[in-house]
Amino acid sequence: MKRKLAAAIVIAGMMVSVSACGGDDGDDSGKNAGPDSFKGQTLTVWAMDGSTPDQWVKDVTAAFEKKTGAKLKFETQKWDGIQQKITTALSESNPPDVLEVGNTQTPAYAVTGGLADLSDLKSEIGADWTPSVSQSSVYDGKQYAAPWYFTSRVVIYNKKIWAKAGIKDIPKTRDEFFKDLETIGKKTDAEPLYLPGQNWYLFDGMIIGQGGDLVKKEGDKYVSNLGDAKVAKAMEVYKKFQSYSKAPKDKDEANPQQAEVFAKGKTGAFIGMGWEAGTAVTANKAIEKDLGYFPIPGETAAKPESVFLGGSNLAVAQGSKKQALAKEFLKIALSDQYEGELAKLNGVIPNKKALESNLKGNAVAEAIAPGAAVGGTTPLIPEWGAVENTPNPIKAYMTAVLNGKSPADAAKQVEAEINKRLAQEN
Amino acid sequence: MKRSLFGRIWPNATAVVLFVGFAFPVYWMFATAFKPTGDIISENPVWFPTDVTFDHFKKAVDADHFWTLVLNSVTVTVLSVVFSLVIALFAAFALARMRFRGRRGLIVTFMLAQMAPWEVMIIAIYMIVRDNDMLNSLVPLTVFYTVMVLPLTVLTLRGYVAAVPKELEESAMVDGCTRTQAFVRVIFPLLAPGLMATSLFGFITAWNEFPLVLILNKDVEKQTLPLWLSQFQTAFGDDWGATMAASSLFALPILILFIFLQRKAVSGLTDGAVKG
Amino acid sequence: MSVQTEGTDTAGGPAVRKARVPAPRGETPAPGTPSRRGAAAPYLLLLPALLATVVFLGWPLVKNGMLSFQNLNPRQLIQHLTEWNGFDNYRDVLSEAEFWHVVERSVLFTAANVVLIMVLGTLTGLLLARLGKRMRLLLLVGLVLAWAMPPVAATTVYQWLFAQRFGVVNWTLDRLGWHSMADHNWLSSQFSTFAVVLLLLVWGSVPFVAINLYAATTTIPRELYEAASLDGAGAWKSFTSVTLPFLRPFLYATTFLEVIWIFKSFTQIFAINEGGPDRLTETLPIYAFVEGVGNQHFGVGAAISFLTILVLLVITAYYLRMALKQEEDEL
Repeated sequence: MKRKLAAAIVIAGMMVSVSACGGDDGDDSGKNAGPDSFKGQTLTVWAMDGSTPDQWVKDVTAAFEKKTGAKLKFETQKWDGIQQKITTALSESNPPDVLEVGNTQTPAYAVTGGLADLSDLKSEIGADWTPSVSQSSVYDGKQYAAPWYFTSRVVIYNKKIWAKAGIKDIPKTRDEFFKDLETIGKKTDAEPLYLPGQNWYLFDGMIIGQGGDLVKKEGDKYVSNLGDAKVAKAMEVYKKFQSYSKAPKDKDEANPQQAEVFAKGKTGAFIGMGWEAGTAVTANKAIEKDLGYFPIPGETAAKPESVFLGGSNLAVAQGSKKQALAKEFLKIALSDQYEGELAKLNGVIPNKKALESNLKGNAVAEAIAPGAAVGGTTPLIPEWGAVENTPNPIKAYMTAVLNGKSPADAAKQVEAEINKRLAQEN
Repeated sequence: MKRSLFGRIWPNATAVVLFVGFAFPVYWMFATAFKPTGDIISENPVWFPTDVTFDHFKKAVDADHFWTLVLNSVTVTVLSVVFSLVIALFAAFALARMRFRGRRGLIVTFMLAQMAPWEVMIIAIYMIVRDNDMLNSLVPLTVFYTVMVLPLTVLTLRGYVAAVPKELEESAMVDGCTRTQAFVRVIFPLLAPGLMATSLFGFITAWNEFPLVLILNKDVEKQTLPLWLSQFQTAFGDDWGATMAASSLFALPILILFIFLQRKAVSGLTDGAVKG
Repeated sequence: MSVQTEGTDTAGGPAVRKARVPAPRGETPAPGTPSRRGAAAPYLLLLPALLATVVFLGWPLVKNGMLSFQNLNPRQLIQHLTEWNGFDNYRDVLSEAEFWHVVERSVLFTAANVVLIMVLGTLTGLLLARLGKRMRLLLLVGLVLAWAMPPVAATTVYQWLFAQRFGVVNWTLDRLGWHSMADHNWLSSQFSTFAVVLLLLVWGSVPFVAINLYAATTTIPRELYEAASLDGAGAWKSFTSVTLPFLRPFLYATTFLEVIWIFKSFTQIFAINEGGPDRLTETLPIYAFVEGVGNQHFGVGAAISFLTILVLLVITAYYLRMALKQEEDEL
């Protein structure tokens, strides 16, 4: 009798919430996915620093709490050391339910079994996800995360300083850009550009621009391709850019936060993500009116510099006991309304083409679009994740070249480490 | 004994140089914390803050959950120091005053325990705590900090116990005290400066520890101040005013504790020397 | 605070002056004490400390040992899988040239630090003993300030002192005529990063040695010096024949502790530059952390941890053996 009743409940549950199957534990399956059925629960979401504008958090939380009756808790995470933090968190009995995972790191997590299979969600709401963006979350034919947004780097500049230097137009080619930076250096007391030595995502974009790649396949194994002439050429370009900056050659853009440096108003420009402009404004309100954006100029006016397409996905922890609720959250956060709002507020490119209209008139997004069209990513293979672990050998390579080593020698110095990490078992 | 002028001057001169060398970093921390940003990033250092500002401190304290972290740090530190002192006092008394089989082995055990490199075992500790469902709690932190400082506390206290003249205890016992009474009434008061001095090591260790809390407690409300300080530093990067204000706030309780307790301990020492 | 590990019993250090009257060591049961209870007492008193240590230190050690024989990466950690792989981790680590570089570096780094700390600490301690009351207090205050700085805060302060831009050290060197240092990046090379770390560690460790050594000298009976000067000993002679022998056990014990502390030091090295540039300032604990936690190769990290402990045991073996022997003589 009891068993029959239980079975009936399970079946009823399955009929209402189809999304609750697919490998989760049965905790949720008896529950109704309608409003108020999640009352008393709290869903924890890990979002990365800068991803979620306050307004968006407020709106999504309100919508989520209204629809489900559950509470929503956002916890902002720092990029520093995030891989170890996510790994250990996924192993715990009470992991964050939803987490933002960078697109370059998603394949590595997909193979660990720590992320829940979201294939059903994909068939429910993901029919029009931009394939190239969704691709990083697919492993072994299963969807391990939902594409959230992507963005890329643009030049963010201080109009006041550029005007002081007498520059009227934004540069269309790399050489024009260099000339402008030189002018700023001569005519003002500002630092022309803030570019630390280890902004390796920018460097990755430049490699893509040269038609190169970070890894190559040797037999059935991936190995480092850092010694390639195209990579060396990209590094020369980076070096030239870096020569206009007094920023440390052995630090990345988050140490110190480049937007905070820029916010002091003594820097002509920096190369960063759209939301970093927001960071600068938070640090110094007065800078807001002087902000301008343009795509990183390429060799010719016809083709801007290629950029790394930094994307973020939203994944659900396999160990989460609130899988159904987590999917409810994803449905709300990724709905046209809130996905569109995020695009608008943060100037990031949304996960479907139809929503790109939200970016109309958005200065950041308009600056992003040309570069993104010729952009790319790091190798989307599970083996790649380990290469990004601290200390990142690519950063060591960059610092070595900037300090005067030849690209070939610098590559030799780190290739063994890269190969070791690529060969590392997951 | 007559000394030349040079012979009289150089110790004092050296002492002044050393004082400056040791105190300067601490001074510079406080000085920077109180200076307006313009004076911090100036081509020539401003040696003495003239316009004092509290802005940096405001920024430092403004962090989310700051007071929760303070409370957590104080709780964990005080508890582990007290626990380790109590546990160690028993052990130290036995090791210093009693003769028994295995004494030598036990002392060496504590010496070996003192060598344990805790930072390199954090994954093992993490897995133990995780598998016992004790993550995001102050209990494992307290327990591990206690054990971290315990060996040195035992070894140090043993010295202090041994230094209390045995005759005092014996005469108390002749006067009719039990051994426990003799300990409480005679030895313990004499040990007080030693206990205080020994506690300093525990305070600084527990207050400062961060690799363990970083991996064990992801819940911000269960974290401690070292995490706040280290994250603060990355978040604000080259905002040295705020970073130094945060460092000052972090260091201040320990500095006060040391100056207070150390004076007692050292004066205990010198008293002993004078009377001797 | 004073240290008294084995071997310092004859010398000073303790806060309360030790009785000069030779007291028989060990326990003489007070009349009337039931001897059976007396026999169990020391064990009962030691039980809490032993239990705490064995459980909460022994357990992680054993766990760490077990992990070192496992293939433990994110997948295994997340799914709670146990995959034994025999001695693979040890074979990987030991066959890597990098590991041996790190061992060599750790030993040299420890040696350089400890020598500096002990020499400077001893000299400062002797200076304290020689100073007048007021100057002694001044120097003590300086020492206590440095000693009391929690390493996390101290490291942050040193980063600021040695900052490339607006750092006061670079400014001073520039003013002293060393103009190439005006914009020097101290963390750009192995040598200068180590120099900063070394200064930080020495600065933080000398006070401990100096204050305790000074405390120890105050317990040297004046009669010994008087006897020495009656024998016609000069200042140097009385130092070598009275002070030094008296302080020797104390110096051994302190050196032992400093070796351990410096070898294990993690916060200072990691927070200054995360073992960089190019991983050239990684000592064994940092290496274990970077390979294990940082690179998410937890089994290998555990193997390195275990080897780290072994290396530390080898380094301190001499002292431990000496301590064991002394204990034997004593009982």
